[in-house]
Amino acid sequence: MERYRADGFDEFVAARWSALLHVARLLTGGDRQRAEDLVQEALVKLWFAWPRVAEQAPEAYVRQVLVRMAARSARRRWWGERPVGELPDRAGPGDVSAAVAERSRLEAALALLPPRQRAAVVLRYCEDLPEGQVAQALGCPVGTARSHASRGVARLRQLLSDSVRPVG
Amino acid sequence: MDDFERELTRLMHDGRRHAPFEPGQRARLYEGIRVRRRSRVLWRAGGSALAVAGLGIGLALLPGTGTRSLPADRPPLPATSPTPPPLSPVPTSPAASTSLPATGMPGTTAPGHAAPPTFPPSGTPDASPSATHTPSSPPVSTRPPDTPPATQEATQEATQEVSPSMTAGGG
Repeated sequence: MERYRADGFDEFVAARWSALLHVARLLTGGDRQRAEDLVQEALVKLWFAWPRVAEQAPEAYVRQVLVRMAARSARRRWWGERPVGELPDRAGPGDVSAAVAERSRLEAALALLPPRQRAAVVLRYCEDLPEGQVAQALGCPVGTARSHASRGVARLRQLLSDSVRPVG
Repeated sequence: MDDFERELTRLMHDGRRHAPFEPGQRARLYEGIRVRRRSRVLWRAGGSALAVAGLGIGLALLPGTGTRSLPADRPPLPATSPTPPPLSPVPTSPAASTSLPATGMPGTTAPGHAAPPTFPPSGTPDASPSATHTPSSPPVSTRPPDTPPATQEATQEATQEVSPSMTAGGG
């Protein structure tokens, strides 16, 4: 039974690892190590729930666990600032690392949002989930999820107004 | 969806990179599963032990469990009762056997029973004369009033001799 469960579980994890890690990274505001910890913990929970959710929607289960754990860890501890030895270089115009800098700026702006608003924005615009599924993942009514998403987008619009411009 | 939201969607999708599930991450994942399973087993064992201990303590502290007394289990009553058993027919002295009806109060007690509530304590020698010879006391005794004083003294002495034996026998 354990082997049967591990086989299906391994296939799922191997197929969805990259996407889950990307969502977790956005949920944590760009912290790769913390995102990997979150994915690991969510997959451990999924392993114990695998017989129940394997035939239904394991990715929705992991997504819900990820959102709740990200919100809980954000309340538990301050993760946003870490001391470094050297300041990172800023990307200039036309730099080949402009895309990386743009993503870093998006992650930094996401880190400034409250956890619920951040989760609503990520699930809505990164996972392309409808409002009903966003509300289910957040564990709140649809209207509340819509409010979180709209407030988060408004805050991001304010933060990224000078960087997110269509390239002409 | 306006331009900003479309650009936001593009930014979020562009940042997605393929990250393979490496063997080190797999080993770490299964190590986490083992640790979680062990902790769950320990929690369950601890919870069961606590439940059993709580149940045992609760059963032990229930009132009357194990020490419930039935009427048949009660020990016999002690011999110290207000009505001591009747005296043995063998008299200890002739004076005591003859003076008991005189010092007792046959009018207030049933035959064969002494009267401790109205009988003066035998350990107080000065109390019995005052109680028996008080002029204002009601005439509860049927003793004839013309008893000579010598007989009364002999009666009191006999009472003092008999009373300890009665209390000893009664107690």
